[in-house]
Amino acid sequence: MSNFNFHVKPIGLFDMLHFKKMVPARQKALACGSTTSVTGVYGSNKLAGILHPKTQCLTISEIIEHGENAKSYVLTGEHPAPFRAGQYLSVSLKIGSSVLTRPYSISCSPKWASESKYALTVKRQQDGFASGWILDNWRVGDEITTSGPEGTFYYEPLRDAKHVVGLAGGCGITPFLSMAYAIRDGVEDFRLTLLYGSRKEADILYRRELDEIAKATDKVRIVHILSDEKKEGFEYGFITAEEIQKACEGDTCSLFLCGPAAMYAFVDKEIEKLNLTGKFIRHELYAAAASPGKFKDYPGDTGKAFTLTVKLYGETLTMPMASSETVLVALERAGVAAPSRCRGGECGWCRAKLDSGEVFLPAFLDKRRMADVRAGYIHPCCSYPLGDLAIEVWPE
Amino acid sequence: MEHAYDVVVIGAGNGGLTAAATMAKAGKKTLLLEQHNLPGGFATSFVRGRFEFEPSLHELCDVGSEENPGEVRRLLEQTLGISVGWAAVPEAYRLITIAEGKDNLNVVMPFGVKEFVDQMEAYVPGSRKSMEKFIKLCEQIMAALAYIGASGGKADPEVLMKEHANFLKCGGYSVSQVLKSLHMPKKAQRILCAYWCYTGVSTDELNFALFAAMLYKYLVKGAWIPKMRSHELSVALDARIRELGGEIWYNTRAEKILTKDGKIIGVHTNHGDIKTGHVIACCSPNAVFGDMMDHSDVPEKQTRMVNARRIGARGFVTYLGLNKTADELGLKDYSYFIYESMDTVKESARADGFNDHPMQATVCLNRANPGCSPEGTCIMSFTTLYNKDVWGDVPPEDYVNKKREVAEKMIRDFETHVGISLTPYIEEIEIATPVTMARYTLNPQGAMYSYSCGDWDTMLPRLMMLKEDQIVPGIRFAGGYGPRIYGYSSTYLNGELTAKLTLADMKEAAQ
Repeated sequence: MSNFNFHVKPIGLFDMLHFKKMVPARQKALACGSTTSVTGVYGSNKLAGILHPKTQCLTISEIIEHGENAKSYVLTGEHPAPFRAGQYLSVSLKIGSSVLTRPYSISCSPKWASESKYALTVKRQQDGFASGWILDNWRVGDEITTSGPEGTFYYEPLRDAKHVVGLAGGCGITPFLSMAYAIRDGVEDFRLTLLYGSRKEADILYRRELDEIAKATDKVRIVHILSDEKKEGFEYGFITAEEIQKACEGDTCSLFLCGPAAMYAFVDKEIEKLNLTGKFIRHELYAAAASPGKFKDYPGDTGKAFTLTVKLYGETLTMPMASSETVLVALERAGVAAPSRCRGGECGWCRAKLDSGEVFLPAFLDKRRMADVRAGYIHPCCSYPLGDLAIEVWPE
Repeated sequence: MEHAYDVVVIGAGNGGLTAAATMAKAGKKTLLLEQHNLPGGFATSFVRGRFEFEPSLHELCDVGSEENPGEVRRLLEQTLGISVGWAAVPEAYRLITIAEGKDNLNVVMPFGVKEFVDQMEAYVPGSRKSMEKFIKLCEQIMAALAYIGASGGKADPEVLMKEHANFLKCGGYSVSQVLKSLHMPKKAQRILCAYWCYTGVSTDELNFALFAAMLYKYLVKGAWIPKMRSHELSVALDARIRELGGEIWYNTRAEKILTKDGKIIGVHTNHGDIKTGHVIACCSPNAVFGDMMDHSDVPEKQTRMVNARRIGARGFVTYLGLNKTADELGLKDYSYFIYESMDTVKESARADGFNDHPMQATVCLNRANPGCSPEGTCIMSFTTLYNKDVWGDVPPEDYVNKKREVAEKMIRDFETHVGISLTPYIEEIEIATPVTMARYTLNPQGAMYSYSCGDWDTMLPRLMMLKEDQIVPGIRFAGGYGPRIYGYSSTYLNGELTAKLTLADMKEAAQ
């Protein structure tokens, strides 16, 4: 089309005047703004701060003992962030010269947050660095620093079946306890059948609490399975496909798993027999193993000592690093407060730039973004060094 | 202050990344600060289960093909030298309206000028003449904008009058006003304006030249997305900045802009003080003049200016990872706009609060990027906008249920009006509200669209007032807060423009 005579108003000249008025109109409007001091913080920003605080300062107000090797800590704070049953807090610790974090599932009802408290349960891990220290050192009145509630291991009605079968091993019961409370308290609405594996009857955590919840609501049912002890009133053995099928009672169920790596290894094989689509199987994070030696495709030697060079906001540090430990642990041992939360490869909070060297990242823990993999970023929480490394990290 | 830089860029959003790369390329000692642990701001990605989701990008405008590159490809690939794996978006859009009775629309519009005009004629016989006029006007606007851009803010009024008369005649009007004058059939106008939600401003308020330029660029250059989500672009820019000698500090908050005798002398951060005479802020002027500067250092004119501006639209997005393919589900198109009606004034008003049928711009990522999710699956995202900070008023204890309620409505509307079932196949779901966006970007009210470009604050007067908008010397704004307004392509281009202006500032200061 050739040019045409365009106009909005009957005479084109008026249109041009209209154009010319744009700048004066904007000048006038800008000059009419108020002189009240400006702010960048509004309702949504404040709500983000309430729901997702970067850190929370909490005081230990009560300690509940569960036998010799597990304790629950009631933590109180001014306005602890609301959480979804199944979420965790990342606890910041200073042990000797190490600075580190540990994720612990919140074990109380989500209602507790509105009463300004949380509960965390810590069980002594064999060869564990932090759990034993916490059990031996945390006292009533101590102040601790945690993250906000994190993690995505929670019930989501738009995604999950109305009937959830929880497969818990040992201390892995804690997120399910919170879910059971949430159902009892009317915060969540779904059926929860728990297959809870313990070694012996005496090892069962929260038995009384779970029984009380099951009595209070018919939406929660508990089946105890003991692996090291035959006893009346308990199932014996491991969590098998058969047990799971029985627990489903013919429903299409979502299976939620939380427990130690050994339990996942066994139960995942059992679940395969059930031929379920992945949508109905959800795992709480795997904590990265203490040593990479047991990963089948590990190409390294766990007995080596390497050097880690770290770029930190324009400064450079070097530190020793053992091939048997993750890069994150090496940083923490050297007292570098590198960011971390989930410690299972998933949250990405520890994302660091690998400038040189090679690491081993177990495939099932590798949840890095595609572009990050290509550009050489690593998640130090589940990266094991295969030689000397140079990285850049950004402590908070 | 032990660290000293020629320029400190605050915020590694698209504008900050581009500005930092441009400054570093010009040989300036550059430090980019980002409070989050990732580059990109809204241009990022996140992983849930076996899916990696795109948080915000639907389609990047002005990329163009290798043979016919647009401004954005020119900037990213030729000027800055990054390489990106691009995937082409297959069609312009599918537009569905659901509350207009017999006038409900359900149309699919293609890219390409001829294709678009032909398809419009097929849907609205008799529309061709007005559509051709519209296209001609678009071409004239593009030519005028190119002239204004090349003139460096010193466009000659005589040249404009003589060579760009039609641009001057339409440039001051809204989309609605101009389309009416073209005698375009009402139905064609309704189909033509589907992209209005990309600006968040009703067609009564939206400047015609701005809209026409956007639509025309989409038609001529198509739309593209990076294959590894927008995070691919952000990471590539991050790497390029380092290559060019720049530094990037993540998890670093610019807490205070330090001044002495009215001059910028540095930036105070949670990781110490940094000496610099120049700040490029890829963050809100509200944050800079409200929270990072002593109010006594902020001129009254600047305060009035910030307060006069209207915070742009806030986004809400539901992300689904589905355990069926797009083919299996029957998802034929990439981009779906579902509105109650094409009365954009009404639609915009509905976005002032919560409502039963939130307007939606929905994407099936696999339709442009088939390998974006594992075999047998696909990824969708459903976006709506809010014109007010309504999410800020939700009680914390109701928040999770409220966001699920909105997400459910959007999914249900999609299922009903596109006629396919999605809910049984949801393997992963995540929901981001303006609160989520406030959390990660710190933008006031979680706004995606910086300051609204509605009414008087549109692109043309912003460009024409480049010089006088600069009130506090030493601070310039990039990203969505730059002169070319918001939207992915604009934020990259704003970053470059702001860096160039800062380089000019430096030159001037040296003389």
